[in-house]
Amino acid sequence: MIELVESVLVGAVASGTVFLLASLGETVAERAGVLNLGMEGMMIMGASLSYIFTNALGHGWAITAVLLVGAILGLLHALFTVSLRLNQVVVGLAFTVLGLGLSGLLASNEIRGRIILALNPEASPAVIASQEAAKLPPIPIPGLVNIPIIGPMIFSHNILVYISLILAGGLWFILFKTSFGLSLRSVGENPSMADALGVNVFLIRYIAMAICGALGSLAGAYLFIGYQPFWVEGMTQGRGFISLALVILATWNPLRAILGAYLFGGVEALQFRLQLVGVAAQLPYFLLMLPYIVTIVTLTLLSAESVRKRIGVPAALGVPYSRE
Amino acid sequence: MEKKSRISRRKFLAVSTGAAVGGVAAGAVVGGLAGYFLGSSQAAPAVTRTVTSEVTRTVTGPGATVTTTVQAPAKRLKVGYIYVGPVGDYGWTFAHNDGRKFADTAYKNVDSFYIESVPEAQSAGAIESLINQGADLVITTSFGYMDSTAEVAAKYPDKYFVHISGYRSGAAGNAPQNMSSAFAEFYQLYYLNGLAAGAVTQTGVVGYVAAFPIPEVVRHINAFVLGANYAYKKRTGRNIKAYVSWLFSWFDPGKAREAAVALIEQSNADVLAFTEDTPTTLQVAEEYTTQKGRRVWSFSHYNDMSSYGPNAHLTGQIVHWGPIYLDFYRMVATGTWRTVDIWTRIGDYMPYRWRRSPEQSTAGQVDGTLQLGKLNPAIPSEWQLEIKMRYEEMKELLFEPFSVDGNLGEPIRDQKGEVRIKGSERADRDMLWNMDWFVEYIESELPR
Repeated sequence: MIELVESVLVGAVASGTVFLLASLGETVAERAGVLNLGMEGMMIMGASLSYIFTNALGHGWAITAVLLVGAILGLLHALFTVSLRLNQVVVGLAFTVLGLGLSGLLASNEIRGRIILALNPEASPAVIASQEAAKLPPIPIPGLVNIPIIGPMIFSHNILVYISLILAGGLWFILFKTSFGLSLRSVGENPSMADALGVNVFLIRYIAMAICGALGSLAGAYLFIGYQPFWVEGMTQGRGFISLALVILATWNPLRAILGAYLFGGVEALQFRLQLVGVAAQLPYFLLMLPYIVTIVTLTLLSAESVRKRIGVPAALGVPYSRE
Repeated sequence: MEKKSRISRRKFLAVSTGAAVGGVAAGAVVGGLAGYFLGSSQAAPAVTRTVTSEVTRTVTGPGATVTTTVQAPAKRLKVGYIYVGPVGDYGWTFAHNDGRKFADTAYKNVDSFYIESVPEAQSAGAIESLINQGADLVITTSFGYMDSTAEVAAKYPDKYFVHISGYRSGAAGNAPQNMSSAFAEFYQLYYLNGLAAGAVTQTGVVGYVAAFPIPEVVRHINAFVLGANYAYKKRTGRNIKAYVSWLFSWFDPGKAREAAVALIEQSNADVLAFTEDTPTTLQVAEEYTTQKGRRVWSFSHYNDMSSYGPNAHLTGQIVHWGPIYLDFYRMVATGTWRTVDIWTRIGDYMPYRWRRSPEQSTAGQVDGTLQLGKLNPAIPSEWQLEIKMRYEEMKELLFEPFSVDGNLGEPIRDQKGEVRIKGSERADRDMLWNMDWFVEYIESELPR
């Protein structure tokens, strides 16, 4: 029995880390007042690039490239939403559609082959043709991994899982304990006041979007090289949008995002285990709906003004700022 | 004309590579926005790619390059294909595209072109666009295209249409006479995979990662489990236990991974079969075998996937659509069309359609439309022989998995204990097409 609980929890963390990385990025952006609906697109771009770069140059370069391109995507998003003050919903959805298409194009046989050969002329035909890539090796933390349940759950994974946990703590500290974090949050609450106090609203929103893009793409990279390294077009399957809901569930708090992410990851792991113990055959349909139901319910609650106040939605979320 | 489309494709690639490598492009977002607004209609499954078999020969002489065009006899056949997925992705569409290449290479005097990733709702328009490009024969390769294919076939009585994996054709009487239907059916191969599974399992538990509870998948699961039980019971005297995990998705590597892990860790399965469009299950089996010290086996599906799990690959089912397509090319080109409903099984389209001895069996080789995957030497030799014997018997349809013979002489019962096949009965087309019950050895319930 303990083994089974353990195995579900390990699965929850393994699949939940995708949600965690993405929702951490989104939290930063939304705390600064920018709603990034392009998360799904940035995530799939990360998956696609990590696939191509891992086969060309290995994991280190893959993660570097993913962070870089993700940050550039974030900055582009900021260019349109912060500087040009376009509607954030439309721009975000455009990025999602763009990312889904561009990632498929880049990873398509011919173009992928050219990119890999350009990066690494010695790449073998087998590597170029392959639709998989080397998975990140697990790095069990000695000692800690032996703690019952918690050990394997948290300390038996690959490097990106540990990085995501460190990032959650780090971002919490930055957001709530540093003056930069205070500025960032003030930009999301009342940008004109922040501006009057000498905070550079535009710069902060650009920085926040760069972080958001980089982490969103890293989430996609984790989905591919950290979780299941097989490329198919559109392999994120809505995980970017689920992360958006998670940010709200976690009330824009990086530490609570950990719990939320593992909860959603747990649902993903649990649905298949429940099928096997024969909990009514109809249950899979219900479980499949669960993340989306939670998403809809949270979004609905969010539309009520009183709820918005209580859970502390950044007041300027989604509102482009312009100096009068 | 073919030249033209080739160049434009090259240009397209150059531009897209440029955009990709150069990265940014302000146009990207314009495109993105346009994509968003068009996105809902998924406009233009876009790129039609023309592939011609070589007709120009370049001879380099001492001074000059002379290009001669080999005179093609009378009229070149034009064939259009509609694909449901991208051709680059391993799995269903990849296999169809291989079949197209095979038929083109064999037939030679043909131009074929295709449209990939066509949403079912837009298939009628896509088929008509192929007709407008001059296609004499249109082949549509997804179940969801069935009704639109019949519709367009009625509109163009002088063109020919083949639909894959459906049940509407002139032959069956529910479509115009210029429409045929074809399919390469896997249940016999799944039974043989089951024999291999039952021969190697240590835990006596097999698992199945399945996409959707549709009759095709259900009969594959039943065939696999019947085979596994046959071998396991003959070996140990005990019944096999089988568990099924449903993905409700054709391709989601993340979900397939969790489903496979659950079957291994929770149900203690050590052989996993699957029906979905990625080799994820095989990858997971490989991971458990090589890294987690737990011997787990899996299979190839549609294509040879052994490179995704070199240590965990037991055998599998591989499809070759080419011979079926070639047959239709010939019919259309020679004016000998007749509407047919072809469901190929082992034996069909084989040059030598007679039973051979197990030692000389063509099991594991390309022969006809259905190929058994490479048999892993880990399968005990007596079982390799038995698998080959059954394969050979099925060439002449002497053996039928869904019969008392396939179940060690026992009647086949469903999970409620009701006898489904007894005595000398064999499953017929209607039973196979409408299968909505699980054999008794399966512990999981069938979602309804």
